[in-house]
Amino acid sequence: MTDTVTLFLALLAVVAQATVALAAILAIASRFSPAARRTGRALGEAIAPYALFFAFCVAAIAMAGSLYFSEAAHFLPCKLCWYQRIAMYPLVPILAIAAWRRDRDVSWYVVPVALLGGAISTYHVLLERFPSLETGACDPNNPCSLIWVERFGYQTIPVMALSAFALIVVLVLAARADHDEEEID
Amino acid sequence: MSATRTAPHKGKGRNKASNARDRKAAKRSPVLPIALGLFVLLAIVAVVVSRGGGDDGSTAGDDGASAIEQTRPVQVTGTSLADFEAGNDTAVGTTAPVLQGQTFDGASITIGKAGDPQVVFFVAHWCPHCQKEVPVISEWIADKGIPQGVSLYGVSTGVNKSAPNYPPSRWLDREDWPVRTLADDERGTAAKAYGLTGYPFFVAIDGDGEVVARASGELSVEQIEALVDAARR
Repeated sequence: MTDTVTLFLALLAVVAQATVALAAILAIASRFSPAARRTGRALGEAIAPYALFFAFCVAAIAMAGSLYFSEAAHFLPCKLCWYQRIAMYPLVPILAIAAWRRDRDVSWYVVPVALLGGAISTYHVLLERFPSLETGACDPNNPCSLIWVERFGYQTIPVMALSAFALIVVLVLAARADHDEEEID
Repeated sequence: MSATRTAPHKGKGRNKASNARDRKAAKRSPVLPIALGLFVLLAIVAVVVSRGGGDDGSTAGDDGASAIEQTRPVQVTGTSLADFEAGNDTAVGTTAPVLQGQTFDGASITIGKAGDPQVVFFVAHWCPHCQKEVPVISEWIADKGIPQGVSLYGVSTGVNKSAPNYPPSRWLDREDWPVRTLADDERGTAAKAYGLTGYPFFVAIDGDGEVVARASGELSVEQIEALVDAARR
């Protein structure tokens, strides 16, 4: 069961990473290319009505996944895992309410929290790859450099968390951008 | 592009209008069915691949481990050492407790008994620093052989079936670990008795059974050789 859940979450993380990469490429390309701008706008308009709902789904899946890992698979969360949980879990009710109310101004609250969570995830990923960044020894009480799960050679739990934080930022900004355009027009 | 941005809290009517427009757009948009379809498809792929015994990328929870017992009872005789603190090791000069237990294959093993200078390596299978240190020690012994006049012992401790790189016996075999190794019990009795505060952990004991040095963290070959020299003093 744990293998299945891990693989499913890793596949979702791949989709998240591809979406974030596409959004970044379009954002950069649209500064130089009218065609890229048109494509980005068309995609934005298609996604915008659902962006907050999707962001809520991403946060909810991330929360459910982390709870599965700790409560069902018995992977002990380390200190940095807890910090990432602190950033991710409140986003679930906040985004649920924002999606329900279609409150696109929620980006003012969600983006800073998600960026903070993403920064912690990035440091956690670095610790996994370079354990000596923190210390030369393993804390007997569950060090953060411990890799509990690894899929496709790089998808560890903090990589999945980072993907979720990044996708949430992209989605709430997509909802916001659509909103801003309406106000400017 | 006529107006400037509306001030916050003043665009309620506009928001209502745009929300109504969103709802209409949402009815036409294929985004939701596509996203749902992708979600279901990925779930099916995960189930099919996992059941088909595909790539098991999980590094943890290797329940199909060998039948070898990875933890075994340990008996401690003597006073436990103080917890290790770098730079202020109060255990140096005190008598090391004697550990009696078993290796992975069930042979009895005794560590810390006076009369025999010793260096003891404590390692945990899931610890990335131990995973780096064990090949260093294995290569060092493969190159130079077991040092004269000193016995080397290992202690496999911190064993956690759910953690990565389980079971430790398989890991040490894979690394051609040449050191006789005691399998610590589930509570880490041997590690606690020697005051372990981090993995990997090293203890040098002289011929009188006294601790001459302890160290924690990854060590270089030169540092390990210094521990060996300290034990042989």
